[in-house]
Amino acid sequence: MVKRAPVYLLLILGVVVAIAPFVVTVLASLKTTVELVQGVFSLPETPQWENYRTAWTDGNMDRFFVNSVIVAVGVVVPSILLSAMTGYAFARFRFRGSNLLFGFFLLGLVVPLQAMVIPLFYLMRSLHLLDSLWALILPQIGLSLSFGTLLMRQAFLTVPREIVEASIVDGASSWNTLWRILFPLSRPMVGTLALMFFIWTWNEFLLPLVVNIDPNYHTLPVGLLYFQQRWTSDIPVIAAGSTIIFLPLTVIFLLFQRQLIRGITAGAVKG
Amino acid sequence: MATPELPRVAVRKRGLSGSSWEPWLYLLPGLLIFTLFVVVPVLGTVAISFANWNGIAWSTAAFTGVDNYITAVTDSLFWGAFWNNLVLIPYFVILPAILGLIPATVVHQMGVRGAAAFRAGLFLPYIMPGVLIGVVWRWLLNPVFGPVNAVLERLGLPTPSWLGDFTLALPAVGMIGAWAAYGFCFVIFLAGMQKIQPDLYEAARLDGANPFQEFTAVTLPGLRREIAVVLSVNLINALRAFDVIRATTDGGPGRETEVVALYMIDTAFGAKQVGYGASIAVLLAVTTLVLSLLVLRLFGERDG
Repeated sequence: MVKRAPVYLLLILGVVVAIAPFVVTVLASLKTTVELVQGVFSLPETPQWENYRTAWTDGNMDRFFVNSVIVAVGVVVPSILLSAMTGYAFARFRFRGSNLLFGFFLLGLVVPLQAMVIPLFYLMRSLHLLDSLWALILPQIGLSLSFGTLLMRQAFLTVPREIVEASIVDGASSWNTLWRILFPLSRPMVGTLALMFFIWTWNEFLLPLVVNIDPNYHTLPVGLLYFQQRWTSDIPVIAAGSTIIFLPLTVIFLLFQRQLIRGITAGAVKG
Repeated sequence: MATPELPRVAVRKRGLSGSSWEPWLYLLPGLLIFTLFVVVPVLGTVAISFANWNGIAWSTAAFTGVDNYITAVTDSLFWGAFWNNLVLIPYFVILPAILGLIPATVVHQMGVRGAAAFRAGLFLPYIMPGVLIGVVWRWLLNPVFGPVNAVLERLGLPTPSWLGDFTLALPAVGMIGAWAAYGFCFVIFLAGMQKIQPDLYEAARLDGANPFQEFTAVTLPGLRREIAVVLSVNLINALRAFDVIRATTDGGPGRETEVVALYMIDTAFGAKQVGYGASIAVLLAVTTLVLSLLVLRLFGERDG
């Protein structure tokens, strides 16, 4: 046990360095500016919830938060359903050009958003969708489909063939086989995918920065950037704004750590 | 592992009487969205990169061939930004890989209780938005009221202005990148090590290998795949760096932390040189793809 003490020390140091910035941010969000100068690791005398009120209402974080939630739901749910359908098409049917088309979908894994964001701006402009949440939702569904198609196809292929054959013998249509049998059986993969899509969407910065100028349609990351520029030296309020972004992520991370790490390990191929 | 396949419906064999359109019904909605919002914009970037366009009306666009690429090759601002991306590589790619590899090796060879908790704690920064990381570190590194300098001052060490300093800004941004990535490297490496056959270690020990020799003879060769993944993912992040820099230095001071992605966005949307911006986007995408494939080829499995 004594021999392992340095090992634990090393690991604890690694974890402290990784999470200390978030811990001091939460502490700072509950302090006055004066308290903050006295020390970052101390607890606040009385929690200053006004910082959150300022960030939430004066800083418009309420609107950014609602926008982020709408965009996240608007991306994750359709992406899951559409990925299940495209994944099913490739898992179940062999048709002319299926391999080529599958490769076509996977192209999205290697092309960065930077290589499409300029035309996306002008595409949205001609669709009259600039400064709207649609400009964030539609491209991000498209971007999710590459990874989604790949993983849903994989999940469907691992379902034992007897189960699918039995359903076909029972006379189930291919549509019902997908939604009543394969989709429920692939729940772990659906969960992992939903988490990945959620985090990508929640964190996306470049796309909303480019397509939405009107602050009414900002999501949290872009909102936080402008927020920081407005409250430059009011660290407690900036810390409150930051906490509003990372607390939901942290809660989801702690709840679904296992699925999430599995997804990111698998998603490491998606650069 | 062999994966049992679904009974595939061989549509072609059924002939016209069958439902050869059936898979297309499942594909259609996804394919439409993917084509319109991913494929068309990618092709659009390539197309615009061959034109001179101010972005106002389509009629003002003029085909100029490879002019934009020639401009890029001779543009010292572009090369300056690209050089900064290259400087970030040791910080974004190599440093976090080493910082992740050491604790992963120790945990794997000695075994610890509560490995899952350590894993979660180390991994947390990796899922956070870049802007948030930038905003938090901008405060932590603030020369006047930032906690980092407060600690340094108490220790009697110099207190530079980090992100505002002409020589320190880029390394400081690099360190933020390393901080954000080392937990990811740890997790990937540890998962890889746990897949290595234990009897390989026993065999090495029977041959009289010490822990360091076990590491070089068994662990490292067994980690080829994971090393390839970690290095290529980190490399992609170094070349595409945008969010953290936008939120910390926005390219400054001067152009000390200007990177290609920032230059691309400022060119296309700030300076309204849309065609030139698109050509930078193409160069960035191609460079990223080529270099990451190179890393995968160098470190990936030999059999491929």
